[in-house]
Amino acid sequence: MVHRSNGSLITLITASFLLSGSVFAQTANSFDINRYSTFGAGFFETYYVQETELLREALIGGLITEDTDLLVTKTEKGNLALIRDQMAFHHIAQGSVNGKDWMATF
Amino acid sequence: MVPTIEGQTYNFINSGLYDGLFVLQDTETETLWNHMTGEAVYGLHAGLNMPISNLLHMNVKKALATDQDMEIAISDRRYNLAGNTAGVAGTYSPDNKDAELMEQFIVTLGPEDQRRPRMDMGLGIWTDSSQRYYPLETLRSEGSYLVDTVDGRDLLVILEPLTSTPTAVYWKSDEVELEGTEFLLSDGYRIQNGQLKNEAGEQVDIDQPQQIFTRWYGFALTFPKAEVIQ
Repeated sequence: MVHRSNGSLITLITASFLLSGSVFAQTANSFDINRYSTFGAGFFETYYVQETELLREALIGGLITEDTDLLVTKTEKGNLALIRDQMAFHHIAQGSVNGKDWMATF
Repeated sequence: MVPTIEGQTYNFINSGLYDGLFVLQDTETETLWNHMTGEAVYGLHAGLNMPISNLLHMNVKKALATDQDMEIAISDRRYNLAGNTAGVAGTYSPDNKDAELMEQFIVTLGPEDQRRPRMDMGLGIWTDSSQRYYPLETLRSEGSYLVDTVDGRDLLVILEPLTSTPTAVYWKSDEVELEGTEFLLSDGYRIQNGQLKNEAGEQVDIDQPQQIFTRWYGFALTFPKAEVIQ
């Protein structure tokens, strides 16, 4: 049941599809290689993160503003921000912190 | 996501499109992976899953309110300081209400779910047993928040006033009221600039389901059994 705290009722529509594949999500079993396209391959570059800096210092240094849109992930060291505008190009950022790999995809 | 497969670090590239979404490919085995669920969908590792975690949208102001010690990684790619995604990438950014899919994307789509427009924006959440989609339109029409129950847990879905991005948090509140840019909750709690705070103004840790701010077609094709809250 979905509801607002004021009691109004929101309609909950349950999916009822005849799509093939998993009952949960797209999986290897339902993947149709004939619909896969290599369009765009090679255009985007994975961002291999080697260096980071404190967000507050980047703000003070004018590298970002308070309104800059970020994507925030967690690594072994804590929260790590990526600039959304850059990730729209890279699509993938990955790195390693204290021997633990991480990857963010957008 | 953790790109460690059987103890080895794998390297990933964007190899193409499927269901109108970009596809991950590891360069070690050329296996194709779903970038939303972390599952290998084609190739040597088909069926394996990489652990996934949330990639949350927020601006710098909210990020610093969340964590003063947060770090940032900035690549050498040019970017827009003001925050809006520019150029070709901006065509598909959440801010572009008139976005249309290019034909090269459309040909990779499976049978589409017609309950929402293809390019509709919303918040998709999923757990081991539930998948739901909250359209931005619904959140806006309901006063920027919804209270839901997912797997027996109370879920608060809000549209953050300062960033217009949706977020879902597990939290039980008998009352929710948007006052200015703050959500006032029961027992003196409030959500201020994306942070849950108690009556004393102290930040409270929150638990969140796996979630993605996305267009409808991508979520629906990835989770064909998803419920739509509208």
